[in-house]
Amino acid sequence: MSQSALPPDLPAPPQVAGISLAGTIPFTISAEENRALCESTGVAPAADGTAHPIYFYIATQVGMGMTVAGLCATCDFDVEEGPMMASSKVTFSRPLLTGQAYRVTGRIVSLVRKPSRKLGIMDLLEYVLELSLPDGTSVLSTTNVWVLPRRKLA
Amino acid sequence: MNAGDPLKPFRIASVSPEGMKAWAKFLHDPNPIHLDPAVVKAKGLGDRVINQGPANLAYLINMLQEALPGARIESLEVRYVDNVFGGEAVEAGGTIKDISTDGDTSRVNCDVWLRAEARAAVLTGTATLLVHR
Repeated sequence: MSQSALPPDLPAPPQVAGISLAGTIPFTISAEENRALCESTGVAPAADGTAHPIYFYIATQVGMGMTVAGLCATCDFDVEEGPMMASSKVTFSRPLLTGQAYRVTGRIVSLVRKPSRKLGIMDLLEYVLELSLPDGTSVLSTTNVWVLPRRKLA
Repeated sequence: MNAGDPLKPFRIASVSPEGMKAWAKFLHDPNPIHLDPAVVKAKGLGDRVINQGPANLAYLINMLQEALPGARIESLEVRYVDNVFGGEAVEAGGTIKDISTDGDTSRVNCDVWLRAEARAAVLTGTATLLVHR
């Protein structure tokens, strides 16, 4: 996705930075689902009650205050146009546990319009999500970047 | 365990379309490109269902956990470079970049990747794991 200059008459992307992605319902990783998830990836679940670390992504994504389609719509983008994951980053303060309720908070960091050799025009959506215990103790912070192809603007 | 050492690979012989159906439920994401090859074809993305990106990342995490048993992932950063399709074989691996020790804890920095059979990397990134003695 190498870049050249944006056309000067291109409309700006929606101003979405700062919009809250806080969830309203705590997310709990069930031991049963963790077992199924582990088995689907070719490993056995941990015997000590820790959940598969990939729940950093699932718990935050499912537990945030919007669906993926809703997040795309907030960016004035139809999910049917095919958002693509570009990158994920996570920092854990403690392991994830099954049966533990987690609170999700977060916000949109930025939506940046860029030229793309492959896609014509694209928006890069960056958002941060945090998982904490009910008492506020931090568990992890994750930042995801999605590519929103803007083929109709190309 | 030393800088430059390869991490023991983790291999999936065939990425399962049935697994993608399960992941659609885990992720609450019914995107049909993970479920219906006809939709993938209609979108010009290939002719097989596309595995969910977080499932690919889970294979990479499995590699880290099996290569460094007892270690805890402190941080992980990846780029999603390409798709993985139903029926493909994938292999996760990596290399230890450097190790620093503070008291009874070692911090192990690694380059990591996931490759689909006969193709370049589909995930690339870095990971830091904590090892307690």
